[in-house]
Amino acid sequence: MNDATSLFLLRVMLTTRAIEERLIRLYHQGRIFGGVYTGFGQEASGAAVAAIAAPNDLFAPCIRNLSLHIGRGASPRDLFRQWLGRADGPTGGRDGNVHFGNLDHGVYAMISHLGAMISVVSGGVMARRYQGMDSVGFAFIGDGATSTGDFHEAVNFAAVREVPLMVVVENNHYAYSTPNASQFRCRNLVDKAAGYGIEGIALDGNDAIGLTEALAPVVADLREKPRTVLVEVDTMRMRGHGEHDDFSYVPRELLAAYAARDPLTVCREILLARGLIDPPGLEALEAEVQQAVDEAQQAAFRDPPPSPSTLLKGVYAGE
Amino acid sequence: MPVNEITYLEGIRQGLQHTMQEDPDVILFGQDVGSFGGAFKVTTGFLEAFGAARVFNTPICESAMLGAAIGMASQGLKPVLEVQFADFATTAIHQLLNNAGTMHYRTGVAVPMTVRAPCGGGFGGGPFHSEELEAFFCHMPGIKVVYPAFPSDARSLLVAAIHDPNPVVFLENKYLYRHIKELVPEAIAPIRIGSARVCRSGQDAVVLTYGAMVHEAIQAAEHLAADMGYRVMVVDMRTLKPYDTDTVIATVAATNRVLIVHEGWHTCGFGAELAALVAEQAFHLLDAPVRRLTAPDCPVPFAPDLEKAYRPNAARIEEALVELLEY
Repeated sequence: MNDATSLFLLRVMLTTRAIEERLIRLYHQGRIFGGVYTGFGQEASGAAVAAIAAPNDLFAPCIRNLSLHIGRGASPRDLFRQWLGRADGPTGGRDGNVHFGNLDHGVYAMISHLGAMISVVSGGVMARRYQGMDSVGFAFIGDGATSTGDFHEAVNFAAVREVPLMVVVENNHYAYSTPNASQFRCRNLVDKAAGYGIEGIALDGNDAIGLTEALAPVVADLREKPRTVLVEVDTMRMRGHGEHDDFSYVPRELLAAYAARDPLTVCREILLARGLIDPPGLEALEAEVQQAVDEAQQAAFRDPPPSPSTLLKGVYAGE
Repeated sequence: MPVNEITYLEGIRQGLQHTMQEDPDVILFGQDVGSFGGAFKVTTGFLEAFGAARVFNTPICESAMLGAAIGMASQGLKPVLEVQFADFATTAIHQLLNNAGTMHYRTGVAVPMTVRAPCGGGFGGGPFHSEELEAFFCHMPGIKVVYPAFPSDARSLLVAAIHDPNPVVFLENKYLYRHIKELVPEAIAPIRIGSARVCRSGQDAVVLTYGAMVHEAIQAAEHLAADMGYRVMVVDMRTLKPYDTDTVIATVAATNRVLIVHEGWHTCGFGAELAALVAEQAFHLLDAPVRRLTAPDCPVPFAPDLEKAYRPNAARIEEALVELLEY
């Protein structure tokens, strides 16, 4: 892996963390609409996939994948516009919080029905390949969504059609308050791959550099030999389902164990050890990211909300 | 101009074939649509004609099929998806409602896709192969719904549906597939989604209907003309969302008496929408209360006598018309 990729991963994750820390603060200040849902502690897999992917690839991020959006070029200002329901945001105030995307970056906007986007990104990849493009799809999903019929239908359909699709299951151990033991009976979620006749790969979900190094050759091979693969990454949701949730149902020792392996800490340490960045350089990068987030937030607060007169605009295309 | 007599099924087949010949962006998929030609043989020969990249079978996975169509449409293709029976679209309803129907509004990305859904009863299909679900589909924002009753309209409206930049549910009445024939010209006439068809003129009453009931209504109107001399107009709505409000109001103005007929369920059925429109905009034109003749609110029964009692037909339409005309 080259030096630029390592620094890309660090920058993407720092930006993601800075935005989400700000969103959490805005929520507790009562300055944001609705709930706040973050990927705190799960920044590594989205950043790694963004680092590996090619321009024509397509993505279906889920609730906790802000790092994928950032890695694919979403601007912090657009992020705050989305959370504030602004007219010029990615959904123009028609949808909120994590439900946004940008197909110019290959990123689909998720709907709340978990599992539903896997078949959508799969169909998008089918279309791009029909159009002669080299395109691989990446669908992110949590442990809880593997129980849905949509997960099963979409993974099976993609496997049968040999769609080059990487289904990344982020096992963060809790679906809202429901632990793995009440969610599925197999030992590991990666075991489900066998039932679909596809390859399953289990990886540490908190090490962005390790993920990038492990998945880059897999993705390169998917381009040569199109097929669907299932990747389970082990990680931890370090906050509640949303900021309204005190997640008292999660044992504190479990959180402490994952806190010691925080994706940003892991990445910083590897970069420092490899001499790719020094402490002053790291400090400067963090300050630069913070400043960009400050400016983005301030700009978004000044941006106008949508006019009620636009309520019906865009229900149908071509009208 | 050369004309050919074609069935309703042949109209659908020709519309699909025409768009696939003209436009390489049109892709067809669904259960058994490939070499088998589909459960009703609409797509016989399509795999051979257009190749495996454009015509392919899927596993049994309506939700993933709908999702894949949304993904394809979002990338500029015009997928045509066959759900073998409209009844089975219910296992994918959230992809239509939440994903296809909201994508353009939320993200500005158009999803030009067509869902072909064979529907309706009258052939002993029982509760799960006879459902009329147009009201479900019409309730969803961002979705268009068309439902032809004639071979020529089936052909033209399928072309219109495929080229529409929005998700369109194309309802095909199974009973009509081989029962209805029509002389049609070689060239496919364009029809705008949102226009009704006045298929029988009259001034004493109007029947607002669609699907298989159009033909039952025409038969009833002809009986009444022969037996009692009444002249009853029959309007085939043929596109249900958007629907042709102007024609509805104009025909009410011309006749002053309205019977609404459909083979879907009564409560919150499409007839309730039509009745509400007439009440809101044409109340002053009515000489009698609006009347609805629909299926009752019960599952579609299997046994022939039960289904006959369930499904409206020409005789019952005639009875309802006599009551309306003599009000």
